[in-house]
Amino acid sequence: MWMKQVFEERSMDFERICKTRIRIGIGVVFLGALAVLVVGLSQGDLPIRYLKEGTREFIANFYLWMGIGLMAGGLVKIAKGRRLLRNPDLKRKQEIMETDERNRELGLRCWAYSGYTMFLLLYLGILASGFVSATLAWVLLTVSGVYGLLLILFRMILQRRM
Amino acid sequence: MNNRIQELRKERRIRQEDLADAVGVTRQTIISLENGKYNASLQLAYRIARFFDRQIEQVFIFEEE
Repeated sequence: MWMKQVFEERSMDFERICKTRIRIGIGVVFLGALAVLVVGLSQGDLPIRYLKEGTREFIANFYLWMGIGLMAGGLVKIAKGRRLLRNPDLKRKQEIMETDERNRELGLRCWAYSGYTMFLLLYLGILASGFVSATLAWVLLTVSGVYGLLLILFRMILQRRM
Repeated sequence: MNNRIQELRKERRIRQEDLADAVGVTRQTIISLENGKYNASLQLAYRIARFFDRQIEQVFIFEEE
């Protein structure tokens, strides 16, 4: 469903979209709860391979707060979806807001411009990072490589779909 | 691309909000169309023309550069 929504202009049944979002929200809450549960069960003693001073506490806190964030985000998504399904006027307004062609174009342009900027920043980072750290340079090179591959992949998919 | 949306809308005393609701876009899109900041897609252009009961070229004026 989401593939069609992303790659095709055809509009989807908004009620179905709301229901799918609620299901995604439930999944996100579950993932968040899982992260919190893992941290809770391990009591901050997570099996971390590369230990530097303070890593254990950092990772435990990281997963704990990520779990809490995911649960909060998921609950908001569920509540929003349910509210839209209960209120037809609100649902129609939200549907117009999300399917409005200018809004969609704005969204796409924002992604494109942030993508160009990100690529430029990566390029500058690669140029500068060699003087600082070879690891950093390799990481940035890998990220830019993956980014380039994704660009080619999506172009190929879109060329078939459009 | 120029258009006569504002003129036709005022002629019929229709609010931007009502036009937006009828053609399934936000009021901001209607404002941008009227100001010439945004060009409608073919689909939206058809819906707007149909709303005013006009031909598409009577609402949207194509100017060759």
